[in-house]
Amino acid sequence: MEMHEAGSESPNLAVATEGAAESKHDGGPGNTLGPRDTLEGKLTYEGNLRVEGRVEGELHVTGDIEIARGATVRASLEASNVAVQGDVQGTVIARKKLGLSGSGRLTGDVQVGRLQVSDGASLNGNVRMGGFE
Amino acid sequence: MDRVRTPAIKGRDSKPAVPESGHGVLLGPRDQVIGQLYVAGDLRVQGTVEGELVVTGEIEIDDTAKVKASVSGSDVSIRGQVNGSVTARRRLLVADSGTLIGDVRAARLIVKDGATLIGNVSMSAPGEAVVTLPESDAPPAEPAVAPSGAGKTGPAKRNRK
Repeated sequence: MEMHEAGSESPNLAVATEGAAESKHDGGPGNTLGPRDTLEGKLTYEGNLRVEGRVEGELHVTGDIEIARGATVRASLEASNVAVQGDVQGTVIARKKLGLSGSGRLTGDVQVGRLQVSDGASLNGNVRMGGFE
Repeated sequence: MDRVRTPAIKGRDSKPAVPESGHGVLLGPRDQVIGQLYVAGDLRVQGTVEGELVVTGEIEIDDTAKVKASVSGSDVSIRGQVNGSVTARRRLLVADSGTLIGDVRAARLIVKDGATLIGNVSMSAPGEAVVTLPESDAPPAEPAVAPSGAGKTGPAKRNRK
């Protein structure tokens, strides 16, 4: 979706800007499960995914997963980058990087390329690094 | 000598960041410990350690250090290599130059991007109960993942609906 400064008065533009302000996706399509959204089951998704609601099951994402603050995830996650600001119980595979922010809570085994844990975060589980060549 | 600022009890003031509670021990880059070391105070390691380190205060493991030991301290900062279990009663920091292979117990944990961490991590804050409140705030009360006691045959509570 392209945004030009001049000439475009389509109502879609407002929506696009709103979404763009919230998501920090670097390329690729993105989607958000809002705070009232619930997913139970297995999701395979090409692109980036942001979760603000509740998920039970499995998420396989080609791009990045962001678990927002307030989200509750009881699922195994697999993605390129995984950012956790909410509550996650389940195994996590981050082919590139797993980031736990200060509000993030993660209970489960993780396999990551790189790991970053901020002060205040909670991590319980077995950590393995590498093996993604 | 005019300068009598430092009290004579403090043997060394080589390390500026020593708190008042205890003294500091510095193991330089050519120093080596094989065995058990107990320090009532702070410890900074730049050399080689094999065995066990128990420190009441802070432990700093510099990037020149090679530690194959279980490490226990109040605050632990790792910039070098550690093979062994680490217990930080307050805070564990693994810097981007740090490598930690071993199990971890810490009240607070900070891992910088670029650090290597392999092992089991256990963080259980003492004042904090384990968070397992699955159904109180979940409106659709369908037990997708049935709890272990689901096979009860007795006159247990029925699910509403």
